[in-house]
Amino acid sequence: MQTKILLDEEQMPKQWYNVQADLRSPLDPPLHPKTQKPIGPQDLAAIFPMELIRQEVTTDRHIDIPEEVRDVLRLWRPSPLYRAHRLEKFLKTPAKIYYKWEGVSPAGSHKPNTSIPQAYYNMKAGVERIATETGAGQWGSALAFATMLFGLQCTIYMVRSSYAQKPYRKSMMHVWGAECIPSPSTKTNAGRAMLEKDPDTPGSLGMAISEAVEDAASHTNTNYALGSVLNHVCLHQTVIGLECREQLAMVDDYPDVVIGCVGGGSNFAGISFPFAGDKLTGKHKDVDIVGAEPASCPTLTKGLYTYDLADEAGYTPLLKMFTLGHDFVPPSMHAGGLRYHGDSPIVSRLVHDGVMRAVAYHQSEVFDAAQTFARTEGIIVAPETAHAVKAAIDEALKCNKTNESKTILFNCSGHGNFDMSAYDAYYAGSLVDYEYPDELIKEAIARIPKIS
Amino acid sequence: MKKIGFLINPIAGMGGAVGLKGTDGKREEAIVRGAVPQAINRAKITLNALKNDKNLIFLTPSGEMGEDALKETHLEPVQVISYPENESTARDTKIAAQRFLEEGVDLILFCGGDGTARDIFDIVGRNVAILGIPAGVKMYSGVFAINPSVAAEVVTGFEVQSLRDSEVMDVDEDAYRNGELKTRLHGIARVPYLAGKTQFSKQIYEDSNEERAKKDIARFIHEIMIPDVLYILGAGTTLEAIARETGLHKTLLGIDAIKNGNMIARDLDEKTLWALLEHEQETKILLSPIGAQGFILGRGNQQISPRIVKRVGIRNIIVVSTPHKLRETPVLYVDSGDPVLDQDFGDFVQVISGYRIAQRRKISQLP
Repeated sequence: MQTKILLDEEQMPKQWYNVQADLRSPLDPPLHPKTQKPIGPQDLAAIFPMELIRQEVTTDRHIDIPEEVRDVLRLWRPSPLYRAHRLEKFLKTPAKIYYKWEGVSPAGSHKPNTSIPQAYYNMKAGVERIATETGAGQWGSALAFATMLFGLQCTIYMVRSSYAQKPYRKSMMHVWGAECIPSPSTKTNAGRAMLEKDPDTPGSLGMAISEAVEDAASHTNTNYALGSVLNHVCLHQTVIGLECREQLAMVDDYPDVVIGCVGGGSNFAGISFPFAGDKLTGKHKDVDIVGAEPASCPTLTKGLYTYDLADEAGYTPLLKMFTLGHDFVPPSMHAGGLRYHGDSPIVSRLVHDGVMRAVAYHQSEVFDAAQTFARTEGIIVAPETAHAVKAAIDEALKCNKTNESKTILFNCSGHGNFDMSAYDAYYAGSLVDYEYPDELIKEAIARIPKIS
Repeated sequence: MKKIGFLINPIAGMGGAVGLKGTDGKREEAIVRGAVPQAINRAKITLNALKNDKNLIFLTPSGEMGEDALKETHLEPVQVISYPENESTARDTKIAAQRFLEEGVDLILFCGGDGTARDIFDIVGRNVAILGIPAGVKMYSGVFAINPSVAAEVVTGFEVQSLRDSEVMDVDEDAYRNGELKTRLHGIARVPYLAGKTQFSKQIYEDSNEERAKKDIARFIHEIMIPDVLYILGAGTTLEAIARETGLHKTLLGIDAIKNGNMIARDLDEKTLWALLEHEQETKILLSPIGAQGFILGRGNQQISPRIVKRVGIRNIIVVSTPHKLRETPVLYVDSGDPVLDQDFGDFVQVISGYRIAQRRKISQLP
């Protein structure tokens, strides 16, 4: 009974897969926040290196992974694919459950898959410092690790509520030599304006993005890096799904269902885009691709598909995506990494076109699933990842009813070793099941001429 | 050891069963109408549940105001601190409260109604924590435990540092008997609660400031208010904040109605409310659960009767509450007066707790 399916280091993908090549029609272009006209490469050059801008817009199907990047990825890649025998047995399910374990990276999640290439391209472009934001701290620690390896300085604006809640993520950033600042801060105009408006704000990813973008735009030696949402970030994460496809082929299998949790969409994109490509090109028309999101911030299930800002202050381009509104500050639930008002434009498009679908869960049912997973497979997952676990368990239980032996694949995107206070809250019965009052909002939107 | 000042208002609740809507100054009349004292029996439920707590010293007035119940339930040690007249009055309650204050008790546990809470609060203010065993006719104040058994749990479990603010309400009894609810906020008392249930407050950053939460809720409700819909606003400071956001002044404990940004009616009674609804195409009711007791309907808003709920429709009831209050309200109840209607509320209710944020909360069966 094989549990781990492993690839050799040399079987690690040499190219990323770009799903933009296989979309039924091109993505709607990002618009300039002021002119509302499509932006060009020059509009982004102040904060991104040219190679990443190229990757953002290209429709080439395959993009080479630089050897220097593969060299670093080798530290933990290829990551293992597990068959969840014990979980299957516990659920008494005829389904086969596989999970891709991304928690083996030094930062403990999938995030270094993109922080490494982003730091690399910035280093190549002669950039000295990178400014970024982080929600729960996963991205911040991953970028701190990457910038250290390529000799760059790193400034991280960490969402204030997480800064207080997750001190060890902050400590990791310090170990890897980065500076970590709670956001909103007094360091930027955007931060000062937000503090003036609301001194007690818990902060949000949207606010922290504004601060990091401003920092990058106002210093010539500094660029900006984003840990999710953007096309090039999703591109870098496709190593996950590409490896999975190879690993499943080794056991002569192919998924019926592919699952990931969704905040900005990058880990979901990572595991699912290669399979979405198979679906779009007709190789596997029936693969069911499912994004799992929190009921408190249900962007894909309850949001509107429209142009919206990616940040709070309005520095970023307008992106066509599912959004709850850039001024929405999601509640401080434990899956801080999923607290984002918008979503990857590519993921949004694929959901809008019916290539993928989404489900939303309340906190306590998500932790029920995480507990089941920890008590069967052993891994204590991050609260974000627990959403994917919940969706996988639900899909398996559906198979119990239909007696189908589906192959379910989910992205086990990160460990929860720094999230034990969330588990403590679960056991104390103090988890709050936040939800988004979408019916009230929709009714109002439908009947009020304009709602800001 | 915890020093517990224990006090019963022996006549509390007597007026209710015989339609007096309160017993202050009406003891004779209540007895004539056939009322029997019941506060002592309510108190004894709490006392019986405290038998195994060896960590308590009781200070109490003599006789029916406390000493008798403690003796009958064999609780000790007991120290008698005042000697009321045969027919105890509000004055005796105040004397006992003064003595509790002088003796430095950790908590005043009283059995009574709003009147008793008010009398004690007038003497001790925010200097001593108070907790009510519910026994009165009217219990609008948030200082009462949900029932006598829970009162015992709180007495055993509370730490001196785990106190919260809670409303002490003033209800004009004469006006109330005439079918008029004249109420006002009398003061904010310190009330113990079970710390174990809320110890993760640090996790939820935005909960820290209740005023801010009220503003966020108000901003959201204001945003989703629809033209030409009548909004009935229930009692409480959260609803008051919603009215303020709309630029209106709302009664704190009354039921008010607004439409198209205007105050249509204030402090409505059931009949006037019913008449008002007759001409309305569409109505929504905004309610907030009462204090730690968690009643969405049936406490402090009896004007919203079953027929009114049916007319408006349960789906048009919007429940709002600050995260702070919800944290201290582990269970929510509906007690509309019609048990079948109560069932129709279902097992869960969505409570608006912030700007575009809600919490899914369980509705429990009445204890």
